[in-house]
Amino acid sequence: MRLPAISLFAALISAGTMLSPANAEQLKIATDATFPPFESVDASGKVVGYDIELMEAICEAAKLDCDIFNAAWDGMIPGLIDGKYDALISQLTVTDKRRQVIAFSDVYSHPTFRFVAKKGAALDVTPEGLAGKIIAVQTGTPMDAYVTAHFPQATIKRYDSGSAPYLELTAGRADLHISYQAQIIHSFLKSDAGSDFELVGPQLTGKDAKEFGEGVAIAINKKNTALVEEINKGLAAVRESGKLDALNAKYFGE
Amino acid sequence: MNWDVIAENLPRYLEGAKLTLILTFASLGISFFLAIPLAFLRNSENAVLRYAVMAYTLVFRGTPLLVQLFLIYFGLAQFGMVRESVLWPWLSSPMVCVIAAFVLNTTAYSTEIFAGGLRHVPVGEIEAARAYGMSSLVQARRILIPAMLTRSLPLYGNEMIMMLHATSLASTVTLLEVTGVARNITLNYYIQFEPYVTAAAIYLTLTFVLVSAFQLVQKRWAGYLESRIG
Repeated sequence: MRLPAISLFAALISAGTMLSPANAEQLKIATDATFPPFESVDASGKVVGYDIELMEAICEAAKLDCDIFNAAWDGMIPGLIDGKYDALISQLTVTDKRRQVIAFSDVYSHPTFRFVAKKGAALDVTPEGLAGKIIAVQTGTPMDAYVTAHFPQATIKRYDSGSAPYLELTAGRADLHISYQAQIIHSFLKSDAGSDFELVGPQLTGKDAKEFGEGVAIAINKKNTALVEEINKGLAAVRESGKLDALNAKYFGE
Repeated sequence: MNWDVIAENLPRYLEGAKLTLILTFASLGISFFLAIPLAFLRNSENAVLRYAVMAYTLVFRGTPLLVQLFLIYFGLAQFGMVRESVLWPWLSSPMVCVIAAFVLNTTAYSTEIFAGGLRHVPVGEIEAARAYGMSSLVQARRILIPAMLTRSLPLYGNEMIMMLHATSLASTVTLLEVTGVARNITLNYYIQFEPYVTAAAIYLTLTFVLVSAFQLVQKRWAGYLESRIG
């Protein structure tokens, strides 16, 4: 009669190891994997993309043990503040508002933002021209802040993920969406669903509106200044070795 | 703690609570009148009708409400046929999709609750009604429906509370009810505890009011059953 008790004990132990806290040395790095080609989940459930490859290269260069995983956008920055995560790499733009609560590494890219709409919609992309139009954005992003501040006459619909606005565009529930130009091209315009759509309006950067921020960086807990330094060193090494250029060419070179 | 943010956003919570109540009562109101005839069909002697209603309640009680909502809101929109149909002006509205999903779901549960109540109406009451020479319609109106509803009240009260709480799913399709407001605040102010605990307090208050009102109703309409139960 000992045997069942022992096997139960063994089962409990194996369940216990699953619940045990992750390796304390390992850095927990979260990403919102709904934003290809920067971050997405592949068919096998792994997170992949530009940001993921960059982070892996930085961790390797800085000799950090990193665990990069998918997390929901709405809990990411609070999770970093609370110490649930050590860092975030998710095309996060540096803004004054965010800098009040989290720290950032050096900037690693300067994204271009753009509107996307149905081909032939002939939209006049000005605050007056878009009055009454429906703009879909991901909540709490610089794009959300930008349209909220500059297009008060438009209706703004906000979504939790980076992918839902495209569903709404194709369904015809939204007239426009604004996002990173590279993300629009790679995750939407190149797909079948996006074949009827095109980029509209001017290319926008941080120079055009302060809401777009100062560029994209890795977010780190404010108290962890040591990690900011380590990641910056790793980033500098990746840049010097030419890996960052190679990565840019791989993802965005035409 | 960042309670200033909550205080600043209280008007938004009020708007959210209003929408939560609209969604709850619209869904429950419509489903109440659908579930009563469906409960009769569920107990019908006609096997086709009986099984058709059973299949409906099985499907809608057997799948998560969130999946049903996504199928109606995102799923249907994928088909050009739907987008070009005369129904599209309605189906393109998140409000209509949400209420449709909620009504379909809660009607399935309510139908089973009422059908169960109907099966427990004492034979004597039905025989007495027949002895008075009531037609089946009069029987249903005067005896069966009131008897069925009073016997279903405690279970139906639970269903109403579940529906109130289920409205939080509406935030997934852009409607800013109480949960949607809380989520929006977490995304813009980077705090989690305060917005969600405020949302919880609002749901608790609404539930308390609902339960109190329901107890009054139960006393008024089902009081006569108490001596039998006790």
